[in-house]
Amino acid sequence: MGFNENQTATIQGSEPVVSVAKPELINGSHAVIQSLIAEGVTTIFGYPGGAIMPVYDAIYDYQDQIHHILVRHEQGAAHAAEGYARITGEVGVCLVTSGPGATNLVTGIADAIIDSTPMVCIIGQVASHLLGTDAFQETDVMGITIPITKWNYQVTNADEIPEIIAKAFYIAKSGRPGPVLIDITKDAQQKLMTKPFVHKKTEALLSYHPRIAPKDEQLAAAAKLINQAKRPFLFVGHGVRIAGAEQELIQFIEKTDIPAASTLLGLSSMSVDHPNYMGWLGMHGNYGTNVLTNQCDLIIAVGMRFDDRVTGDLSRYAKQAKVVHIEIDPAEIDKIVKADAPVVGDAKVALELLLPLVNENNHEAWKAEFKKYDAIEDQKITQPELAPTTEKIKMAEVIRTLSDKTKGEAVIVADVGQHQMMTARYYQFKKPSSFITSGGLGTMGYALPASFGAKVGAPDREVVAIIGDGCFQMTIQELGTIAQSGLPVKIIILNNNFLGMVRQWQQLFHQKRYSFVELQNPDFITIARGFGIDGHTCGAREDLNASLDKMLASDKPYLLEVLVEKEENVFPMVPTGACVADIRLE
Amino acid sequence: MTSYTICVFTENTIGILNKITTIFTRRRINIDSLTVSETERKGISRFTIVIRHESRDAVEKLVRQIRKIIEVLAVFGYLNEDIAYNEIALFKVSTPIGAKPLDIETINKTYKAWVVYWHLTYVIIQKTGTEEEIFEFFDYIKPHEILEFVRSGRVAVSKSPQTLVDYLPEAEWEYYQ
Repeated sequence: MGFNENQTATIQGSEPVVSVAKPELINGSHAVIQSLIAEGVTTIFGYPGGAIMPVYDAIYDYQDQIHHILVRHEQGAAHAAEGYARITGEVGVCLVTSGPGATNLVTGIADAIIDSTPMVCIIGQVASHLLGTDAFQETDVMGITIPITKWNYQVTNADEIPEIIAKAFYIAKSGRPGPVLIDITKDAQQKLMTKPFVHKKTEALLSYHPRIAPKDEQLAAAAKLINQAKRPFLFVGHGVRIAGAEQELIQFIEKTDIPAASTLLGLSSMSVDHPNYMGWLGMHGNYGTNVLTNQCDLIIAVGMRFDDRVTGDLSRYAKQAKVVHIEIDPAEIDKIVKADAPVVGDAKVALELLLPLVNENNHEAWKAEFKKYDAIEDQKITQPELAPTTEKIKMAEVIRTLSDKTKGEAVIVADVGQHQMMTARYYQFKKPSSFITSGGLGTMGYALPASFGAKVGAPDREVVAIIGDGCFQMTIQELGTIAQSGLPVKIIILNNNFLGMVRQWQQLFHQKRYSFVELQNPDFITIARGFGIDGHTCGAREDLNASLDKMLASDKPYLLEVLVEKEENVFPMVPTGACVADIRLE
Repeated sequence: MTSYTICVFTENTIGILNKITTIFTRRRINIDSLTVSETERKGISRFTIVIRHESRDAVEKLVRQIRKIIEVLAVFGYLNEDIAYNEIALFKVSTPIGAKPLDIETINKTYKAWVVYWHLTYVIIQKTGTEEEIFEFFDYIKPHEILEFVRSGRVAVSKSPQTLVDYLPEAEWEYYQ
């Protein structure tokens, strides 16, 4: 030790952090860690290996300032960093080695870019003189990650490290957030810097200027459309959470009385109790929100990108409506749906500036139309799901019971598939920043590591992962990470012994030809116990309440396996290629 | 199919070509020609990329995606009438003993092409012009047997009086608004 004891690094505003007490030069690895500390990083998710060993040697000296969490597979590090970033709004940091360490991150990086999640991945690389020689554990990480990173950069010179890390954090977090990858050759980690370490935060770049405040004329054009609209409909996207615009959104909605619905990643930004909240949009969203998308006269899309799971058949999507599109990424404007009034900027700032420009209004009659559809949906789908007469437990009852027990205020991390859709439908979110899931990429195996990352980021909140039996086995090894941390992440497996969503599609669109979707599962509770995590299997409805109570009462990680109906389907559903108005109730 | 010329101004860093071309590849847009050189500003590269596409809308989306690359300073999409453009072609033409001699006067005066290298059995002719002019000359010279033929790819500057500096940093957005 000893190295760190003589170091004094302080952050004062945006003043450069200079190592003063120990004026001698530091090596690239220490520069990496000191730069991370200067950027305010307190947690790293990582996995060591040959090409990143110098950085791991350095981190040994900074354990009192940086908490390194050892995952069990690099994909777990990426998803944990995503979960951390999604709950804190801060940059999630991964540290892995070259070659397979880097390629194992790829799924997580791709997930982060499509879901606009700020992440900095620091990757070891073979020494610079070995680049391109097919050296041991060499892979072209730069080439592989160009299409899935917001920015990537290869460092071969220790002197570059502080500047590049500062730039990485600025790029990852500003504008539309996304993952940044820094590939550092082993020699750059080992060599001494030739100048004293100085870390200055990046505040602007020559070639990158995310627009925060929208232009006045764009705001005016948007306000005009909003004030003219008779049947306006507001869509809450992920951008609301990213911008922290929940309050501004509510103020805007309450002034204009416009009904609102949420995309998958927008869920929880508006409480389900709000009288203007009409539900969820898209393939498995609500009946009224989908049908009335094709009957409104104005869509106000806030921080969303009109994903095909939201729009269904584009040629029959909201053709009657004008569109106000509030979005920080100019490339999203007109990408899928033509905007009559684009508003390029940060959602929080845009809503703040729009508020004085829009008129107070009353849309009672228009809002009441949603209620008519709600009644039909409630009778045909929701009630039978929540109060089933079948013997087996249904996913919906598990989710709704959990929702009631946690008062709709837990952080819910859903994996990908039927259980994800059921969670989105039946958990009654009442607190902002409460839903984390892989929306764009649909990455099975996301939830276990992401829930852990979320718990690290929000240790005071109840974090519950909801996972299917298929998904669980994709990143099951992260039980080890959770057990080692001791953090009380609660895990629910909704076990139907099927890859349920694929099975549902095979049933509906492939004449019930169940092609490789049935799983022979292990005894999940025995596995959890093997990792040192307690658990319980609930197979009967009478046991559900007590099982959930026991799980929630635990101050340790806990696995609850619920045996659910094997062949249930998620409805409503807008089948691929269908129009949102043709949403199926059965 | 309309021809579009896309000019991309970037910081001159390793891998930037890859970052740009992957945007085209992902959308299955084929690049007809590509030239890169440093601009009048040190450290700033200029990519001139020519594509053909039936949808202006798709090209505008492409331009916006290119703009998202962090190292990219500005992107402009042009129709042919918006730009002055040219390319260079070199022809290695066979001139064996006893063959019909080249009509140098026609080559020079009609086609504005020049012999830049003489060899006993062939010559190298340089022709500058638009793609159409180069292929006109190609057809003219073809009977002499073309041993090798190469085109440089298009270079282009906009006819607008504004310079790059006037457009930064939000050029591409203003252009399409």
